[in-house]
Amino acid sequence: MKQRLITLGVFLAVVGLGGILVVVLGLAPVQASSGHWPITKWFLEFSMSRSIATYSTGIKVPELDRPELVLKGAGHYETGCSPCHGSPTLRHPRVAANMLPQPPYLPEEVHHWDPAELFLITKHGIMLAGMPAFPSLKRDDEVWALVAFLQEYQEMEKEDYQKLVFGNTWNASQEGDALQEKLSDGTPLVVIQACIRCHGLQGEGRGQGAFPKLAGQNAEYLSRSLEAYINGDRHSGIMEPIAARLDVATIKMISDYYAGLELHTEESNDKQKALLESIERGKVIATEGLPNEEIPSCADCHGPGEVDISPKYPRLAGQYREYLVLQLELFHDRNRGGAEAAELMHEVADQLTESHREDVAAYYASLKRDDEGASSSGE
Amino acid sequence: MFRFHAFSTSSLHGFCPRSARTGRWGRNALWFTCLLTISFLITGCEGIQSALNPAGRDAALIAQLYWWMVGGAVIIWLIVVGLAVYALQINATEHDYNVTRFWVIGGGAVAPTIILTVLLVYGLSMMPTLLEPAPEGSQTITVIGKQWWWKVRYHLPEGQAVELANEIRLPVDEPVQFYLESADVIHSFWIPSLGGKVDMLPGRQTRLTLHPQRTGIYRGVCAEYCGGSHAKMSFEVVVMERDAFDTWLEQQQAPAKSASNELAERGESVFLAHGCGACHTIRGTKANGKIAPDLTHYGSRLRLAASALPQTRDALKEWIAHPKQTKPGVHMPSFALLSEDDLTALAAYLEGLQ
Repeated sequence: MKQRLITLGVFLAVVGLGGILVVVLGLAPVQASSGHWPITKWFLEFSMSRSIATYSTGIKVPELDRPELVLKGAGHYETGCSPCHGSPTLRHPRVAANMLPQPPYLPEEVHHWDPAELFLITKHGIMLAGMPAFPSLKRDDEVWALVAFLQEYQEMEKEDYQKLVFGNTWNASQEGDALQEKLSDGTPLVVIQACIRCHGLQGEGRGQGAFPKLAGQNAEYLSRSLEAYINGDRHSGIMEPIAARLDVATIKMISDYYAGLELHTEESNDKQKALLESIERGKVIATEGLPNEEIPSCADCHGPGEVDISPKYPRLAGQYREYLVLQLELFHDRNRGGAEAAELMHEVADQLTESHREDVAAYYASLKRDDEGASSSGE
Repeated sequence: MFRFHAFSTSSLHGFCPRSARTGRWGRNALWFTCLLTISFLITGCEGIQSALNPAGRDAALIAQLYWWMVGGAVIIWLIVVGLAVYALQINATEHDYNVTRFWVIGGGAVAPTIILTVLLVYGLSMMPTLLEPAPEGSQTITVIGKQWWWKVRYHLPEGQAVELANEIRLPVDEPVQFYLESADVIHSFWIPSLGGKVDMLPGRQTRLTLHPQRTGIYRGVCAEYCGGSHAKMSFEVVVMERDAFDTWLEQQQAPAKSASNELAERGESVFLAHGCGACHTIRGTKANGKIAPDLTHYGSRLRLAASALPQTRDALKEWIAHPKQTKPGVHMPSFALLSEDDLTALAAYLEGLQ
């Protein structure tokens, strides 16, 4: 018995030392070009799918069949995902093609995963596979936007994809279209390259509240927000990678450009009528506050009113309702961040209930930019 | 305020029995230490927040009750300790049953019942006086406790009211009627120099009548734990002659004076541009917030931030930029985004609101 144990011990020691020797001598290949043995490949993929299945248990899937989520997800897919996973406009990304493992072309793969699993993969990435975690771990809403997009992605034609991602700038090559005009009217090139695809040709957003309207926004608020994205003070997996590429001079150029645009607001009347009561309630909160509920008025910092308000604060009149509701939720959960002024919103957001948030957002969405100056908007 | 450090140094030596047995020098040292301790304790009872140095009728009654209790307690203590010492000295022989029973029942049940009954009757007899409402026509003040400051509403003869904050001024030798409320949690309103404490309860109104008898500056405090910055929730109380009080109240009713110099003008626009008016009111300007302290006559107040900070420009700037450093959990957000120049201008403007 004792003899057997000794034999076993010696055997294990030799195997262990041998293993260490292989590593120390650098015999284990780490070249992506060398590929895996079939059994290694099977083992790695099996481990991955088991891990994802286990860790995605209990993730609550929100309503994903919402066009604004799909739109927002598509915008980020083009920036963040398509360089490796490709897209209908880029079927075979060449640089990523020789990665090990090779990033899958998602329309063919996405059906393997349920939404909770896609959320897990998108938010947390996959270790050793080259799949990074989402740039901001505070913005689950953005991760869900990507998942919502992926639900639609399987059956998407090239033209639909382009329309979704690029909006009215997608047929850039055609003569006489809006983009050509932009190129010749002095719009900064960086705006055309980085901003208009989501924020619109005139900074008017893309409808549905997926991306905020930037036209006529205070330049200082815009530049401080972009700097906050770069510093990691404002959280967004979508905006942080875009802002990271900008320098101080470019930020100023972009901010001044959008501040100089005029915001033409037209919310459809049907929508306003349905929200009439909500808008009225929101007006009371926004202009007078609810002192008994410790809610200050919004107007002292965001208008409307006759006072010149600090350009560090954003203008809200005519902004998308959905966007405003989302920002208030993010403030409430401390997930938005922002420049220094964001701190001021935390105390306020803590007091707002879900219906308060919807009401004030509906009120500001219903305002025209011209209403801002008047202390009592003409309603 | 009691100064507890006085106990820690001198009193330990004072009660050390060895020092009493070391002859004349030792006895002198004992007396000296005792005197020093007593003088420390007595000076500790002075000051703006002492229930033992009353400046009002009610505080005087309470102090009187306190001294009777202390006197009685000292006598009882001497008797008990005396008996204990006596018990150590006597020979342990068999005791007479009746004598033993007399001491156990008499000293253990009858005497305490009599003493406590006398004390209770004496204490309760003060209640009608302490609880009596102020006569019709007295100054009426509503005070609302909020985390962590005081909203003060002076009711005027014509049924109007003027809203102030964190400072109370009273006319001397006149009864004053307080109505006490709370906007959030339980607070307790206490001006030790003037009277007893009364709780402020959410959803209820409590009453307190005070009769200040000596002009001067005193301090009121919150006497019920009400959250993280409870200890930073105080206010100044100024008892004044009637004429001075009338002048002050009239001045407090007036809207704010407009900014008097360039710096203050800039401060006013900083105040309005950064949305301070969403929470604070400055009567006579567009600032009409109802959530935070009224600042119309901020500059006339003796201290800052519910008495947590002195009324200086540096303290005010520090408070505006980093209020949570002074009062953890305070609802006032940090205005660190203001430039140094803006902060100075803002402080200058607020100081000028006399």
